[in-house]
Amino acid sequence: MSATIESIREAVSRTREARERVQQHRTTDAVISVLTQVAKNWLDPNSVWRKQAVEYAPRHTGFSEEMVQEAIDLTFGAINYESLGELLDRELGNRRVLDEFCLRGRVQSRAIAPRLLVHFLAGNVPMPGIVSICCGLLLRTANLVKVSPRDPVFPSLFIESVREVDAELADCAASTDWSRGELALTQTALEDADAVIAYGDDHTISALRQLAGQEARFLGYGHKLSFGVVAKEAMTEENLPQLAQAAAFDASVYDQLGCLSPHVYYVEERGQLGPRKFAVALAEAMAAYQARVPRGDLSLEEAAQIAKFRSGYEFRAAGDKRFAVWSSPASNDWTVIYDDSPSFIPSCLNRTIFVMPTDGYKRVLDAIQKIASSVSTVGVAPMHERAVGFAADLARMGVHRVCPIGQMQRPPLSWHHDGRANLADLVSWTDLG
Amino acid sequence: MDQTALDLQQRVLALISRGVGQATTDDEFDRVARDVFAFQYERCAVYRAYCDRRKQTPQSVKHWTEIPATPTSAFKDFPLTCFPIEQTVAEFHTSGTTREQSGKHFLATLELYHAAISPNFAAHLLPDFARLPMMVLMPSTEEAPHSSLSHMMGAVVQEFGADDSAYYVEGGQSLLEKLVRDLCEAQWAHQPVFLLGTAFAFVHLFDHCVKEKLTFELAEGSRVMETGGFKGRSRELSKAELYALFERVLGVPTARVVNEYGMTELSTQFYDGTLRVGKRTDWKTVPPWARVLVVDPNTGGEAVENERGLIRILDLANLWSMMCVQTEDLGIARVSSTGLVEFQVLGRAAGAEVRGCSLNAENIVME
Repeated sequence: MSATIESIREAVSRTREARERVQQHRTTDAVISVLTQVAKNWLDPNSVWRKQAVEYAPRHTGFSEEMVQEAIDLTFGAINYESLGELLDRELGNRRVLDEFCLRGRVQSRAIAPRLLVHFLAGNVPMPGIVSICCGLLLRTANLVKVSPRDPVFPSLFIESVREVDAELADCAASTDWSRGELALTQTALEDADAVIAYGDDHTISALRQLAGQEARFLGYGHKLSFGVVAKEAMTEENLPQLAQAAAFDASVYDQLGCLSPHVYYVEERGQLGPRKFAVALAEAMAAYQARVPRGDLSLEEAAQIAKFRSGYEFRAAGDKRFAVWSSPASNDWTVIYDDSPSFIPSCLNRTIFVMPTDGYKRVLDAIQKIASSVSTVGVAPMHERAVGFAADLARMGVHRVCPIGQMQRPPLSWHHDGRANLADLVSWTDLG
Repeated sequence: MDQTALDLQQRVLALISRGVGQATTDDEFDRVARDVFAFQYERCAVYRAYCDRRKQTPQSVKHWTEIPATPTSAFKDFPLTCFPIEQTVAEFHTSGTTREQSGKHFLATLELYHAAISPNFAAHLLPDFARLPMMVLMPSTEEAPHSSLSHMMGAVVQEFGADDSAYYVEGGQSLLEKLVRDLCEAQWAHQPVFLLGTAFAFVHLFDHCVKEKLTFELAEGSRVMETGGFKGRSRELSKAELYALFERVLGVPTARVVNEYGMTELSTQFYDGTLRVGKRTDWKTVPPWARVLVVDPNTGGEAVENERGLIRILDLANLWSMMCVQTEDLGIARVSSTGLVEFQVLGRAAGAEVRGCSLNAENIVME
């Protein structure tokens, strides 16, 4: 149901009142414990929350039931007492600074959370939204969550699942939705916000940044893309099955629609096995993952994109040995395209992945030059000394995360999302002494 | 050219010469189409490799609907000919963007090409047999030898145009002033005219007219053929907005504006039946020597009637190149009241929406 000006104001005042109570009655450590319990509940195979998500999320997100199950495991598997504590400690120096003055250097400091944090969620990948709400709750701030039309289910269910464990804390967050065109509603939501977290395309984010005004803290997360690089050391007979499985997982999760999903795997030549062998093994692993976690249904436009990529490359492959295609038979579930051009080729996604041979990290850097500022994550295999040098080069180009292939879809809670702090940018400080 | 090929060409020409009104039965079309398929399979190695890969060969294909389609992108990657390429008499290139190379269509003969143009054009644009001054908002074929559209315009101007027909693009410049002057003269003389051009050429003209506060009331009998999408080359207008401007700026009612659907990779054009039936329609007719299939991209099979899918064209006049071409355009098809298939073009199958948070091939800027 779409929000109204009144319902937004009512939600804001309700969450702010709840915030006052929670600020008085909960320590940060208590909130960590609540969120830990909530995540544990979701991870239970018989969880009522899991059941509801599996029932309702597919029709909005377009994911299969199995994919929704996987999304729950990935999202809530990342949330526990240690990871939440680490997030706070890493970003604020000490989790207790939200509760009391703590000695930091020569003075004591206390972190002051924003009073009202407004979240603008986007897309169908649930994890960023859930983590965003967790951050708000850790700060014990009031949270107004505008859900994405692609996923109205997870944020609402998550808040309800917090209520099951701690009703007062859950009252600090309210989820709602309205159309992007309803400028008056967006303005109402932002009128008292002193912090905003926004996901979406560049256009949406810059529009929200303007509306949020000068005073509000603003964290904008635009659309990004990712890719992987397999070094020759990883291309051994022994290593390949496991590597291919990890690579297929990263490329298939969220049907490849997430910003951590790779478009391309560059595979270094001159290994014990060649890049084509990687493509073959990847295709087998994509098929195996599809059998376990089917891809969701596609819009006509998405299916047309896959048809275009596939037929174009199949024709090329028929006449030019430098190209090859492996694909799910009698369906468009997954496609592996081998292309030896020295470039970056953006995929049409929905489990369509490129494998491109390369003669080393240096060539990969050349190939991605034009898109470096849009890169979220680079998966590497193996994580060896050479890869660390490569990571340093990527860092200079503006890439914010390098991780092992197989971990691309599992960023730790304390990662620098798009290169920035998650909590530290939201708080302000009061010093004593 | 050897005898088998020439015999096949004669059979295709025979179908074309029957004219637009004479439908081919499924059997008639199927016999020629499968023979053309066998011919192209034999003569074009890369197409043969593609068919073999798909396990769809002249032995296994039992009906024209099963003939493997060549994606338009393949015209960029390979010279797709069923004749020795050095015998090419003309080659047409797709415009393409600066980033990608253009597709090339090589012709072994202009005979088939011209044979396919005339009867179809006459039936859809000149059902009244009018001979009008044709005002072409394109460069002539001398200026743009690799433009299939200029070539086609040249052919119809030569065959059907009055003596004072003219081209209004020279040396890469639109001759807007001259066009406006000629339109004024035609209006004063009550002389009906026939304007032909791409949608974006007309937008350019309309922008000029609006800026100069010019409107026309072109004489009754005037008509327009517009073609092509915008491909980001001009400000984009919806079809409804564009058609309203024909009426408002030129005084040509929308019932006298015909949309042409053509491609560099084909020899045959497709027109809506507006002038033929005397009222505005978006449904396009399929001449007897061609077939149009709307394919469901999810299944690869034919889409349900009136359901959207990708347009696939079988054009027998493409005997020497690729008869069966898979476009990247979305459309719908239906069986008309006369029992013939007609179709609508709904535009490029681009712009798949971002559902998640990843950039995709459609919205990443590779600059």
